[in-house]
Amino acid sequence: MSDRGAGPSTAAVPIPRPQRYDFDAIVVGAGPAGSAAALELARAGRSVALLERGPFPGSKNVYGGVVYGRVLDGLIPGWQQEMPVQRWVTRRQTMVLSGARSLTVDFRNENWGRAPHNGATTHRAEFDPWLAEHAQRAGAVLVPSTVVVALLRTADGAVHGVRTDRPDGDLTARVVLACDGVNSFLAKQAGLLGGDQASHTTLGVKETLALPRGVIDERFGVTGSGGVDVEMLGCTGKVPGGGFLYTNAESVSIGLVLGLRGLARAKVRPEHLLAELKRHPSIAPLVRGGELVEYSAHLIPEGGYRTMPPLIADGLLLAGDAAGMCLAAGIWLEGVNFALGSGMCAGRAAATALATGDTSAAGLAGYRSALRSSFVLADHERLRDAPGLVLSERMQQRYPGLLCDFAESVFAVDNPRPKPGFRALLRRAAKRNGVRMRDLAKDALTGLRTFG
Amino acid sequence: MFVVVALRWVDERAEVDPLSGRVRTSDRSAGASAADAAALELGLRLAGSTGGRCAAVSLAPAGADELLRGALASGTDEVLRVEPAGEPDPRAADSGAGTAVALAAAVRERFGAPDLVLTGDHSPDRGTGATPALLAAEFGCAQALGLVSLDTEPAADGRLRALRRLDRGRRERLAVPLPAVCSVEAAGVRPRTAALPAVLAARSAEVPVVAARAAPDPPPLTAAHGYRPRAKELPAPAGADPLRRLRELTGAGQRSDPPRVVVTDDPAEAADELLAFLRAEGYLDG
Repeated sequence: MSDRGAGPSTAAVPIPRPQRYDFDAIVVGAGPAGSAAALELARAGRSVALLERGPFPGSKNVYGGVVYGRVLDGLIPGWQQEMPVQRWVTRRQTMVLSGARSLTVDFRNENWGRAPHNGATTHRAEFDPWLAEHAQRAGAVLVPSTVVVALLRTADGAVHGVRTDRPDGDLTARVVLACDGVNSFLAKQAGLLGGDQASHTTLGVKETLALPRGVIDERFGVTGSGGVDVEMLGCTGKVPGGGFLYTNAESVSIGLVLGLRGLARAKVRPEHLLAELKRHPSIAPLVRGGELVEYSAHLIPEGGYRTMPPLIADGLLLAGDAAGMCLAAGIWLEGVNFALGSGMCAGRAAATALATGDTSAAGLAGYRSALRSSFVLADHERLRDAPGLVLSERMQQRYPGLLCDFAESVFAVDNPRPKPGFRALLRRAAKRNGVRMRDLAKDALTGLRTFG
Repeated sequence: MFVVVALRWVDERAEVDPLSGRVRTSDRSAGASAADAAALELGLRLAGSTGGRCAAVSLAPAGADELLRGALASGTDEVLRVEPAGEPDPRAADSGAGTAVALAAAVRERFGAPDLVLTGDHSPDRGTGATPALLAAEFGCAQALGLVSLDTEPAADGRLRALRRLDRGRRERLAVPLPAVCSVEAAGVRPRTAALPAVLAARSAEVPVVAARAAPDPPPLTAAHGYRPRAKELPAPAGADPLRRLRELTGAGQRSDPPRVVVTDDPAEAADELLAFLRAEGYLDG
């Protein structure tokens, strides 16, 4: 037990091939990916241990976001009746901020407030235990307050279990599913997570502001259990990133995601940027008087498809944030859905490999094909250029101003001068923001190719 | 030596509704307080060093089974959950008397008379710290409360050596005769981490449950209201008319120097500000 200590070890622990296994599968991390994987494995009749470092699933989470429903349809039928929902998202907005101005695309659909719901805001401290309970009911063994410090590997490199920080803490299994989050030590130990992780990782900072339910309803124009999801661009100063604002039952979650390299270069503190966002004339009226009840920060893998690690090794699968399964594509900012989807696929693939008796990388290859045939890898592959486009200098620094200039000149009435055409207004706005029409056309084409 | 550790199942992350004062707790975040965890650790060490037994008990609803399974994983020989007799009146202060009666009766019935009962020094939710003393009264044994250390091996005379914190940094050494009830602070004791095989074995362990013996009726509660401090007596304000008296009383309209908050990133500027303040207040005179 030489590797036991305050943190995970840097190297896997060599072991001889086990004669017998404690479990068929070990899932590390009881987040959405881990619990979904454990649920699928347990449903397939496999013995599965679900290891969680916190005292209970969801205890260590930073999240104020939206879980979309369709992925849950396949995991927990009837989830609408039992999931701990804060508000059903009936209104989605994409807001572009520039100086004191803003341009918002606002869509609302009251049908989203009824079954089948589109998405819901939730607190992970409630959502994660709910999901883990399903896995437990299906037969998974949840072991909380237990940190996995190393992989157990045989001489041929195959993973056959994990070492935990508990005494006698080695646990063996035919397959290990690493769902241990963005900074996955298991993926690193397996040599799957290399490269310049900092350049494609963002820092998410979030404040939860308590507001009375009636005030939220009035300010955001919703009623009952309806809620709003706002994604923002142009609110991060010189740091590449974006912002979000979600309504909960009696609080709002407001935050920023900030590129790590850009944040270090800009030498600004994230909480200052967040305070600036809250002072913006378009945001201040929405959050005024909110009592700060939580400030939190967490890393987010936003590199997308191009920076994803290999997802499979002998006896090992990666899912959720550990696999870089977070989609940051401007109007879509989704992590939990992809974690759930990848966890489901990982659980099913592991169950199939266990049934065939082959948990080598070849035996687990069904995972990648399952991901590719589902939204998880299909969306990531199709939108592989989106993170680069969204975080590009023009998109971050110039287009918000261009769009607001254009909107201002369209909506401003300066009679008796004749009204210019949209093309002239666009050209003028582009010139004012230092954007060449050629670059604008090029980015529009890239955008079309990416999103089209 | 037979040691019984009484654990209070409490949610230290409970939320209090600021409007109604209603307390919201969650089974997920509930567990033993740091002081109770220290008591459990000491109980296990004492039982281990004397070749005795250690049992953990809790007067709590079914959610506390996880707490007791955790105690089993840590090495207790037995656990017992005492099911509360009914919902306590949220308006009534918890004196600990009911808890002591129920725990003592259940322990006696299930295990017989213990040599030592250990508890945390006070529960974080009510915090009266009275239960250990009431437990000692129930068992009719010695008590040593609020200990900061307890020798895990009895002395030659069979007594336990303990240290208790007193006011002004003083300490009191105690020789505790057995049987006794001791309450300990969460100081200087690092609870053990349960071994993984024990944790896995405890997951499916059956937690025995007995119903609490009904507590003696509490005094009848006729009214309950929040604490209201007595009004502070002030001299009558001077002034010929009500407006002047009101101004005198409230200080309205009087000149005052409001406190200033100076924020600067320049160390030299900050030092100048501090020196100017100290001079203005007369601290640098002479």
